[in-house]
Amino acid sequence: MNATLPSSLPANFRTSLPRLTRRGFLQSGGALIVSLASPRIHAQATNPTMPARNISIASWLELRDDGTIIVRTGRTEIGTGMSGFYPQIIAEELCVHPSTIRLIMGDTDRTPDGGYSAGFLTGADNLRKVGAYTYQALLRLASKKLRVPVASLIVEEGIVCGADQKISYADLVRNQRLDLTIPVSGDLATVDAKAWNGLAGLDGLTVLGNPPTRPVGKYKYIGTSNPMPGIPDKVTGRTQWTCDVSLPNMLHARMVRPPTLGSTLIAAGKIDNTAYPTAQLIVKHNLVAVVSPNEWEAVSASQAVAADMKWSEWSGLPTSDKLTEALRSYKWSKPSEAKGSVEETAAAFGAAAKKLSATYEQPYVKHAPIGPYVAVADVRLDGSATIWSHSANSQGLRAQIANTLSTTIDKVVVRWLDHAGQFGRTTFGGDGAEGDAAILSQLTGRPVRVQWTLQDDFAWSASSPGWVEDIACSLDANNRITALKSSFYSGQSNDARIVGAILAGMPTIQSRPDYWIATEWPYDRIPHRHEEVFGMPNLGSDSPSGVGMRGLIMRTPGQRQQNFALESLINEAAAATHTDPIDFRLAHISDSRLIDLIHATAKAADWQPRPSPNPNPRKTDGTQLHGRGMCLMIRQNACWVGIAEIVITPSTGVIQVTKFTIGADPGKIINPPQLERCMLSGVVMGISEALKEEVTFDTGRITSTIWSSYKILTMAEMPEIKTVQISHDDKGYGGGSEAANAVCPPAVAAAFHDATGIHPRRIPLTPAYVTQLLNRNPTTPAKS
Amino acid sequence: MADQLSLTVNGQQHTVSSTPETPLLYVLRNELHLTGPRYGCGIAQCGACAVLLDGAEVRSCITPIAAATGKKIITIEGLPALWAESKNVPANEHTLHPVQQAWIDEQVPQCGYCQSGMMIAAAELLATKPSPTIAEIKDAYTNKPPSPHLCRCGTYAAIIRAVQRASVAMKA
Repeated sequence: MNATLPSSLPANFRTSLPRLTRRGFLQSGGALIVSLASPRIHAQATNPTMPARNISIASWLELRDDGTIIVRTGRTEIGTGMSGFYPQIIAEELCVHPSTIRLIMGDTDRTPDGGYSAGFLTGADNLRKVGAYTYQALLRLASKKLRVPVASLIVEEGIVCGADQKISYADLVRNQRLDLTIPVSGDLATVDAKAWNGLAGLDGLTVLGNPPTRPVGKYKYIGTSNPMPGIPDKVTGRTQWTCDVSLPNMLHARMVRPPTLGSTLIAAGKIDNTAYPTAQLIVKHNLVAVVSPNEWEAVSASQAVAADMKWSEWSGLPTSDKLTEALRSYKWSKPSEAKGSVEETAAAFGAAAKKLSATYEQPYVKHAPIGPYVAVADVRLDGSATIWSHSANSQGLRAQIANTLSTTIDKVVVRWLDHAGQFGRTTFGGDGAEGDAAILSQLTGRPVRVQWTLQDDFAWSASSPGWVEDIACSLDANNRITALKSSFYSGQSNDARIVGAILAGMPTIQSRPDYWIATEWPYDRIPHRHEEVFGMPNLGSDSPSGVGMRGLIMRTPGQRQQNFALESLINEAAAATHTDPIDFRLAHISDSRLIDLIHATAKAADWQPRPSPNPNPRKTDGTQLHGRGMCLMIRQNACWVGIAEIVITPSTGVIQVTKFTIGADPGKIINPPQLERCMLSGVVMGISEALKEEVTFDTGRITSTIWSSYKILTMAEMPEIKTVQISHDDKGYGGGSEAANAVCPPAVAAAFHDATGIHPRRIPLTPAYVTQLLNRNPTTPAKS
Repeated sequence: MADQLSLTVNGQQHTVSSTPETPLLYVLRNELHLTGPRYGCGIAQCGACAVLLDGAEVRSCITPIAAATGKKIITIEGLPALWAESKNVPANEHTLHPVQQAWIDEQVPQCGYCQSGMMIAAAELLATKPSPTIAEIKDAYTNKPPSPHLCRCGTYAAIIRAVQRASVAMKA
């Protein structure tokens, strides 16, 4: 029996897919199983020279005769609400309540598709189509059973009604085993030397075709609140987190890392087994760990033996104080990517009435989750490996572990469990404790749990690299920007190598140090622009150990940095032309969505138009300086506006953001309360980056390795936050949770200028940097 | 060798075999299988491992079990019984402390890793200050030794709302 065939399918799919087949009648039970039909797997199975893959392919969706619906996706909950959104999306297509859907996420042996966990938009598109195909198949089943044409059927909460009859989905599948195969394309993740970051297929499979989907106007669940299903178990202590996995015969491990990011092992120390009777030192090349059945013994023995290790010296880093000089002195070749016309931009600059230029910069920053990396691995003699992980790309991790252990992908299973937010550092399926755990399990022949310490995590996890951007604009006599040019220079952000594998001298992936233009251009009324971006290898990439300062993407990657430079320059141009920053932007934008959001956010913030700097920054109290600033951004079919109000205490250099108003228009809003909490929390992370965060390093090691040296925003430092949401039924889904952090730093920097008349061109605005800025500009209002 | 020490956790007496200097965190998690408290920093700088010791919040990552013997230890798994006892009603598997219910109602956890400690801090605060102002909530989570309670997801606004919601529920 064929379900509705989408006309958009390529011919080779149309011959066989999607297809609903009855595998047989059952005495009891019954289910409709929705599986993928991959041309690649099909070809392997029928080609006699290629052995069929000896793994079961998990289904997308299972509709059981007890009314439960199980949905499987390789993408995981990363703290922003996906585990609530996905059920809403699939429930809408199936006409069932979201609470009837149980999600299985991330396990490579129990989910079909792989993909980036942060890639919600593509994940949602897949699951919507899975739901839509399934709905069409169920309608056909009901039509046959009730002898009512499909067009005359309606469905409410999983009950199909037509011609005064009704039947539930559960009854439709009872006593049968029905298989629906749906068309997909793509490959699961594999190591690929040609890929930019060393891995191909990280975005997983894509469901093909365009099955009829529910019109937005008929949505019942999308656009309403749906709670995150995992929360009750998390607040009662029932959740099994990655760190809670405990296996029979398991060893606890603590890593003993080299003193610098480039050191190699000269001589290993010895464990005092009178003090630590069951602890054991494991050494492979530069990978050193202490394992014990008792976790505290592993902790104590690793601390004791660390002092007894001999490592080589290494001093190949420029120090964090000289980061900008190091970036400046690098011999950059051609840009990784460029957009726009050099000639047109140069011509506009040549005809300009006024020109502005600036250089902005930011040091290395950290993802810095509250829970350091942890993983458990069970590697068997037959080469099979099971990894318990909280990676945001289980399939990518599986490919990397197979590569490092020199085994085949089908022998590796990654099981995903909750853990602390990753903020992008595992998006490419790398980094983390999984490599350490797998290698140690292979060496000891026992399951091994590796818990990195906080200091390990700060010192040895990848960072979001420091950068510098030169940016300039030309203006005409009417104070309109005629052209803008920018050159962005950064360390690479795609080194997803597994650190344990590097230290152990085992196979790792290789990446190219390219960067990318991340800006989505909001200023369509600026006629000319030329953007270029440059990437460089990790600092210390040539160190003897091969580790160095590894760079990886972090929340709103690339665009967070490039938007800071763009929006800061726009604010400088508004001030130079004595124009209100909002009015100045409105003169360069014609997108009505963005314009509406700017107005709505400005209204919520009670924004009174005037140019910066603030003519009366001291207000009445006389000692503190008050300022306000704004910025905007477009990202993934969503518009964002941020407005910051700050108070500076010149005597201490401390900035308090007193109020932050954030506006978002992410197309059709799926879940307003979940969006609101992502906006509120994203502002906290963004202000933290604007005011506090900086990785410090000397010539060999990262030195900001605890919370008192890598400071993040505390509750008392959080401003009053107001949110503005605009939903559009006709604009599809946009990225609704990630980008909230990125609209904070430019707005806070603009508010600093508003208060002081000084343009800050670097973040974080720490008390020391603020004091330096105020002292360097004795003519500013701060010193008047 | 390991001594035999007695600990009272969530109203139950346990004899544990770890050495007296072992931090409470490792004993709770690995011997008693109470995984609510979690390792965050190991140096009392984040709050993810917080538990109540005779009603006062302590960081279990630096509290040796020798310092916890003879005292009442409460983890988030024990909050429902603590609440039921204070109201003199029987607890069952569905009982929740108002703080836990408020954390669900306000959808506080994002990744949730720090939230056990956040709820322990709320339980302590509301026991000593039943109607805290926003300023008092911020102060308790930021300035109380040994360190601020840190949340990297940035759920502070939701925590404030949840503490206020729990405050109302506990007075009802």
